[in-house]
Amino acid sequence: MTLLIKTSPVTYALLQPVLGELNGMQVALRFDSESVESARKSTLGVTDVSSFQRFAIKGPQAAAWLSAQGLALPPENNSWTLGAPDTLVLRLGGSEFLVEDQYHGAFTQRLRSFDQSATAGAYHVQRGDAAFVLSGSKVQELLSELCMLDLRDAALPAHALVMTQLAGISATILRQPLNGEPVFRIWCDGTYGPYLWGMLLEIAQELGGGAVGLSCHYQ
Amino acid sequence: MSMRLLKQPGEWISREKTIKFTFEGKEYTGFEGDTITSALLAAGVQVLGRSFKYHRPRGVLSFANHDINVMVTDGQDTNIRGDVVKLENGMKLQAVNTDGGVVKDKNSYIDKISPLLPVGFYYKAFHKPLFLFPFWEKLIRKSAGLGIVNFNFPRINKRKLNTHTDLLIIGAGPSGLAAALAAASNGLQVTLVDENQQLGGSLSYDHAGSDTTRKLLDSLIDMVRKTPNITIHLGAYAAGYYTDHMVPIVGANGITRVRAQAVIVATGVFEQPPVFRNNDLPGVMLGSAVQRLIYRYSVKPFNKGVVVTANSQGYRVALDLLNAGVKVAALVDFRAEGPRDPLAAELVRQGVKIHAGHCVYEVIPTADKLGVKAVTISPFDDVSNVVDTDKSITVECDGVAMSAGWAPAAALLYQSGIGMGYNNEIQQFVPNRLPKGIFAAGRVNGVFSVESRVADGARAAAEVLRYLGKAAPEVEVGKHQGVSPSHAYPIVPHPKGKNFVDFDEDIQVKDFINAAQEGFDNIELMKRFTTVGMGPSQGKHSNMNAIRILAKIRQLPVEKIGTTTARPFFHPTPFGHLGGRSFHSHRLTGIHSWHESANAHFVDVGAWSRPAYYQKDGLSKQQAIQQEALAVRKAAGIIDGGTLGKIEVCGPDAALFLERFYTGRYADQKVGESRYVLLLDDSGVIVDDGLASRLADELFYVTISTSNAAAVYREMQRWLQIWQLNVGLVNVTGVYGLINVAGPNSRAILQPLIAEDLSDSAFPQGRAVMSSIFGVPIRLVRVAFVAELAFEIHMPSGYALPIWKALIEAGASHGLRPFGTDTQRLLRLELGHHMPGYDTDGLTNPYEVGAEWALHLDKPFFIGQRSLQIIAKKPTNKKLVPFTLAADFSGEQPLDCNLVLDSTVGSNKITGRVTSIAYSPSLKRIIGLAYVAPTQAQLGTEFQIRTDNGSLVKATVVSTPFKA
Repeated sequence: MTLLIKTSPVTYALLQPVLGELNGMQVALRFDSESVESARKSTLGVTDVSSFQRFAIKGPQAAAWLSAQGLALPPENNSWTLGAPDTLVLRLGGSEFLVEDQYHGAFTQRLRSFDQSATAGAYHVQRGDAAFVLSGSKVQELLSELCMLDLRDAALPAHALVMTQLAGISATILRQPLNGEPVFRIWCDGTYGPYLWGMLLEIAQELGGGAVGLSCHYQ
Repeated sequence: MSMRLLKQPGEWISREKTIKFTFEGKEYTGFEGDTITSALLAAGVQVLGRSFKYHRPRGVLSFANHDINVMVTDGQDTNIRGDVVKLENGMKLQAVNTDGGVVKDKNSYIDKISPLLPVGFYYKAFHKPLFLFPFWEKLIRKSAGLGIVNFNFPRINKRKLNTHTDLLIIGAGPSGLAAALAAASNGLQVTLVDENQQLGGSLSYDHAGSDTTRKLLDSLIDMVRKTPNITIHLGAYAAGYYTDHMVPIVGANGITRVRAQAVIVATGVFEQPPVFRNNDLPGVMLGSAVQRLIYRYSVKPFNKGVVVTANSQGYRVALDLLNAGVKVAALVDFRAEGPRDPLAAELVRQGVKIHAGHCVYEVIPTADKLGVKAVTISPFDDVSNVVDTDKSITVECDGVAMSAGWAPAAALLYQSGIGMGYNNEIQQFVPNRLPKGIFAAGRVNGVFSVESRVADGARAAAEVLRYLGKAAPEVEVGKHQGVSPSHAYPIVPHPKGKNFVDFDEDIQVKDFINAAQEGFDNIELMKRFTTVGMGPSQGKHSNMNAIRILAKIRQLPVEKIGTTTARPFFHPTPFGHLGGRSFHSHRLTGIHSWHESANAHFVDVGAWSRPAYYQKDGLSKQQAIQQEALAVRKAAGIIDGGTLGKIEVCGPDAALFLERFYTGRYADQKVGESRYVLLLDDSGVIVDDGLASRLADELFYVTISTSNAAAVYREMQRWLQIWQLNVGLVNVTGVYGLINVAGPNSRAILQPLIAEDLSDSAFPQGRAVMSSIFGVPIRLVRVAFVAELAFEIHMPSGYALPIWKALIEAGASHGLRPFGTDTQRLLRLELGHHMPGYDTDGLTNPYEVGAEWALHLDKPFFIGQRSLQIIAKKPTNKKLVPFTLAADFSGEQPLDCNLVLDSTVGSNKITGRVTSIAYSPSLKRIIGLAYVAPTQAQLGTEFQIRTDNGSLVKATVVSTPFKA
């Protein structure tokens, strides 16, 4: 058991947020007053959720192993589902899955018992994602600058996920409900996290939004 | 004298708001909604620019969004198009391409010596004698170009957006509007784009003195505005067509990349000027320019004009001029048959004299050459192209309106891969083969009457609906009725020339004749020799006449001449628009913020930003690097290696995969051991190297070089597909941080923090284990790249920064110091290690760098093996050798890439090059690696290196590791 606290892939020291800890990682709980963040959230809020727990696995037996753990899986490639309460399961392809506990989720703890040497045809995929929540009325305007794909509601089925280029880097995108509101979720390689966070924030601020702390979405 | 008319119905200006500006230092006022050109003309300013080559005075030509006669600068931006850009309060404008102002341009003398400057003169005149070429080049470069680039132009973010639609309609004239309504009423999401500030196209100005077209426009606009599924972009042009119906729409604030299911091109036509002497004088303009000035901006183009025409349009223009209160002194119709237009009777009724079968032979300039004094009208046989100058008359006027025909605005259609054929009935290229999902409507499609254009829009929309799988009725659009809207050859010969075809580049009829005589008689060759169509308007009002002239010269039909290639972009587009927000994606390790605070000097390595060295006050770059290197040699250094490529190769066939992928042996590699990996391509050339650590029976952890990581991983995936082995590949480059602690004190620093026994006997070179530090699970590897004693610690990237900080603290008492990649290069050089990419190139094989030891040719297969077997039988051409300079060397230090010479053959033959060279502070001498001839590779052989200043430096082949 370590006493060290992980850092988020995203660097926001200049914004001087109120920091906290989630799952052993330092997180930005709040960047501004509740009213300011609430307004940003409604217009265009960007929240770092890299600290959510994740477990990824791939290989021909990956689906069978996950199912055996009691997790509901998306039936189709490039789709997602709530595999358990507060746990997202993203099917990244025919044989690759990313499981992510939401703020209150804890299912990935159970999956860490995975023994690669004892599970033929399944490989644990270490993850180091930078992950974000985008909320507000101007999300589509932001995405239209960053992504060539049509991510409007009519074109993106509710449980579809898209692996594409966002601001020139590889990213996974889906739309999920959060506190009754639709939000977009984005994952990218953590080493691109500072870059993507910077781009998201730059555009969000131009459009009247900005950084939103974790506390604004999750209590 | 103000040329502003009383309020015109549907005018685009707002008279409630006056705008002040200056042009060439003089104050003027315009109205909100004015363009720069309309405001200046309204203020009575007629000379608005100077031509590119001869510096002839110019006024309005087309006033159709591509008028190159009026280009201005506001001191910050340049080549601002006066006919497009809206007037703004406080603008301080100057015409570009003048010396001394637009009226008193000192370069106007060039017009007088123009006979000495035909097209292509500089190709022939200035290449001999060669020594004078730099002089001429400087002079020509100074003379060429229009505006002057402002290198201090501020960065203004122009967003590039992506949108999607069912149907994109380009052009909001009658066809585009009708198509939009028909498609939208059937449920399609329609995006309608027009470069003008308002909807309507020619419906907003081509009235022929009546209000019929205006009423139609009002009706169409009313319906469009009430249709919610039509998205309108105005003041924005479709800049090009790209695969999958992607069309960038360029507006004032950026570019919108529209992706559509289908595209209707309803871009209309460009009016083409007839060609006669002095057709470029200020006051001579296209008929449609006259109409736009009158109805959109309420500006009288001149007071007493002559209309010269070769189609029905001139009659419409004349009626519009009369309607605006302009006296029409004469209407000159090229066509011998006389007036065939029903509008002619109305003109005659209003007292306009029609000269059928005549031409404007020349325009007579005013005394100051800045305007129109009169025109010479002569009988003209438009079939034989002969002018009867004996019967010429002179008619005084201050302006000329020209209408001779049209050219399709078909650039986007061409880019989409359309087939075009020449229609002799309308003397125009029209589409005869359309790619899937592309449709044409309106005048670009060869349909000219307003009623037909509306019907053609509906017809195109119906075809789109059927293309998208929806039911839609067939819509019939009849063929063009009546006389041709374009004249087959509206060119009037004149022995004195100055009958301009291309106004951008000052190209006259005789220039084409000369070009053809010189053999440039193919349209593409002629374009390049004469530069027709290569100016800012890209031939929008010159290419068609150029084709007609070439067809006549070659006695061929127009369709045999063909057209030039239409490439994006459709209009000149500012670089700022193309650059957009500038997404320069980059990767940072988790320790980056610490490096910044430690004053690191960063260098880009692939997508990564890495510390090259850490700047210290009072130390030069070289001194800082040498101090960092000395710390590693004498105490300990720490480097962030998180950028290194890291790939997990898992599964039962993992070892077999590596055996095939790399040159070495891995099947017998023990768990807990790491081995060198060398990757070749199929031809046996070195691609990359690294280490493979076996962490479990079915888990190899492969580290590869930073800049090659993505490419190597792609290669692994590709070969795995081919070999179909039972292997899983996981790219964990960004997942793991990597910290390398190197130097004699590294063990002392780490041992208290790590449970494993790090002694040489228990943890020798090549040992690789799973371990932990500060309670964090890590992968620990003993390496020897930069120092004989060094440990790589691989940890989850989120822990990289806290572990780094903890190690810095733990190493403080052991002299631990951070070092960067520049220092790393020096340290590995001291140990004699070559680096792929630095010490190898795209042709280097393992034999040339002495890596035979890494080759296991007796394996059944590895990538490049077969090529190596062939290479091994041939003599080696070069060898990479370590060398030193004399210990007391004090001359100019050779640099990377300096040439190696063999002076023994008497003529300093080039035999190789230096790949790495540096002063080693610990060895206190200059060391390096260089390619030499095999005969120079023996230990102790001396060779010469030629430095940048030409001096020769003696070097001696030595062994590694280097010794003092």
